Amino acid sequence: MKNKNDSTAVPDTGHVWDDNLRELTNQPPRWWMVTLYLSGLFILGYFILYPAIPLATGYTKGVLDWTQMKRFNESVKQIEAVRAPFENKLKGMSALAILDDQELSTYTVRSVKVLFGDRCAPCHGVGGAGNPGYPILADDDWLYGGSIDAIQDSITDGREGMMPAFGPILSEQELNDLTQHVIALSQGTEHAVGKTLFEDQGCSGCHGEDGKGEQMVGGANLTDGIWRFSPGTEDSIKYTIVHGVNEPDAAESRQAIMPGFEKQLSEAEIKKLAVYVHKLGGGQ
Amino acid sequence: MQVNELEKKYNFNIVRWFSVATVIYLVFGTFVGVYIAAELAWPFLNFDNPYLSFGRLRPVHTNAVIFAFGGCVLMASAFYSVQRTCGVKLWSDKLAWFTFWGWNLIIVLAVITLPMGFTQGKEYAELEWPIDILIAIVWLSFTFNFIMTIANRKSTHIYVSNWFFLSMMVMITYLHVVNSLAIPVELFKSYSIFSSVQDAMIQWWWGHNAVGFYLTAGFLGIMYYFVPKQAERPIYSYRLSVLHFWCLTFGYVWLGAHHLQYTALPDWTGSLGAAISIAMIVPSWGGAVNGMMTLSGAWDKLRTDYVLRFLIMSLAFYAMSTFEGPVMALKVVNALSHYTDWTIGHVHSGALGWVGMVGAGAIYHLVTRLWNTEMYSTRLVNTHFWLATIGIAIYITAMWISGIMQGLMWRDYDEFGTLTYTFAESVAAMHPYYVMRFVGGFIYFLGGVIMLYNVVMTLRQAGAERNVSAEPVRA
Repeated sequence: MKNKNDSTAVPDTGHVWDDNLRELTNQPPRWWMVTLYLSGLFILGYFILYPAIPLATGYTKGVLDWTQMKRFNESVKQIEAVRAPFENKLKGMSALAILDDQELSTYTVRSVKVLFGDRCAPCHGVGGAGNPGYPILADDDWLYGGSIDAIQDSITDGREGMMPAFGPILSEQELNDLTQHVIALSQGTEHAVGKTLFEDQGCSGCHGEDGKGEQMVGGANLTDGIWRFSPGTEDSIKYTIVHGVNEPDAAESRQAIMPGFEKQLSEAEIKKLAVYVHKLGGGQ
Repeated sequence: MQVNELEKKYNFNIVRWFSVATVIYLVFGTFVGVYIAAELAWPFLNFDNPYLSFGRLRPVHTNAVIFAFGGCVLMASAFYSVQRTCGVKLWSDKLAWFTFWGWNLIIVLAVITLPMGFTQGKEYAELEWPIDILIAIVWLSFTFNFIMTIANRKSTHIYVSNWFFLSMMVMITYLHVVNSLAIPVELFKSYSIFSSVQDAMIQWWWGHNAVGFYLTAGFLGIMYYFVPKQAERPIYSYRLSVLHFWCLTFGYVWLGAHHLQYTALPDWTGSLGAAISIAMIVPSWGGAVNGMMTLSGAWDKLRTDYVLRFLIMSLAFYAMSTFEGPVMALKVVNALSHYTDWTIGHVHSGALGWVGMVGAGAIYHLVTRLWNTEMYSTRLVNTHFWLATIGIAIYITAMWISGIMQGLMWRDYDEFGTLTYTFAESVAAMHPYYVMRFVGGFIYFLGGVIMLYNVVMTLRQAGAERNVSAEPVRA
């Protein structure tokens, strides 16, 4: 080539298309040819080192004997070696005992944070701050009890709320009176007519005579201004009374179901989650 | 040659229609893309409406840019260049119009059925079986017309752009038909005849070769005609064309497995895909080098020729993304990059940078030749060029940061050997980059709008000039 910057100083192939399309007889750049051959060598080397070629039965394993399962298992082993000193101690311990051990409860909170974030936070919010329709886990208002055992039970078996719909049973006036009483309870007072209805209709059976709830049956505390179904407005409270909770065959009924995690998580994971939830701030 | 003679010699009308459709689909496809990018940044934008949800609009975006924009620019440039390089009219005008209306019908059907939720669930092959059959028929009508035109050619040899178009046509027919094999249960519901990992492998064998043959070989065909034409220079090296053509054609079909690293796919398949992927860097660069060296000794043209800028910038993006892709195919890199936004960034540097820019360059070239006029505004061509370039730069930078950050967050362990971040935390961390991606995409979209305006004004200008037009057409 005479002039390196002028690639047209070489002859073309002699063909012309569409008046002026021609191809020059330049050789491909040397670096390109060299790297092209190196690419072939790369394939060859890779095929020798790694599993690559299918055979009639099975495939070539490669001299490195590399498999993705082996690599996976090695990684798991590495991580488990870091966790082992803690995990071994946790094995025989109850959730309560873990709570009492500062080092282990710190480990537990750290190790289960992601599990909580992936499995619990979608409903209960980051840090258990709650979401509309889903209970807050970071306060001391518990539907089914805030002891470590009660929390562990809730996670293991799940919970399903139940409250009958009063819409079909009561008159409009009665529903309004009842609503007023529930609002009054949350303000530390009472509504005379509503209070009578509250007792006669059996509300007190689950919510207690004083409206402070009954954790045995998951009856909500109505006096603390923390509402299971937010917002705690008159309309929203009346809606719950009219349509009930988890009423079968009633599409408008409030939904309050927490799935049990017994089949999805290991016992150890549930134990850790219970400790985590307990330490969110409201454990009793 | 005089305008009228050229008009008589070739079928330019079909190319005109495909060219205008291309620009409209560029604007539409990128608009939907920008909208769903906004949805990712601000999810309320789906307004709880299923037809506007990300999951349904995303395939509308991908189908619109790949098959509507990409398909129309491929068909416009293939039908144009095959006639000019063979020196004969299209084999059948009627068949060409069948291809045009058939392809556009497919696009309309896609825009209707995808938001309604009809999908085969295969990426870039979402359309249900009746539309798949239509695609096969229309695609074959395009292919057959192209082959018959070459068979009728006046030239002794077949020009290099036509090899690439042919390679695309043969392979896409094969890939589309095999991947779409399904058992229909209803008019718009079918099940793939493959199952589990075989189905996944067939899907990505198609998926990667939609990139490899449709968006690479086909667009290299565009490059090989329009770069030397626009630059008025000969192709740098015939031998390089031959070598990289056959390397790509034989090599590309093996790459699909790299989409399935660390899955149920057998180990040997994954490493086969990775090794051949790396070996494709050099053949890919062969095309980029041949295109760029065609400008050798005439680089000054880039100062004044804005259309050439599009073509050369597209080759730069082509070279970059054909390096990036193989690197991501390696298992060790893939372990970090897979399932992250890095993949999205990579796809878009190829799609916006290579496909979008070489396509826009070809269409600008075509518009001036087909309507025998100058562009209404060359300044706006330059504006489009810079908007596109800046838009891409912002887009892929956002996705690189977001993707690598995602990958690192997902694999980060603390001193207790437990994961540091929840998935939701990684999602929250991506928000600023989603906003940035939206901005980059929007800028690119604006470029498309400017192109549409410029093309429409050029066509009106050409209409006004037509009465006085008797001057010779440019070669």
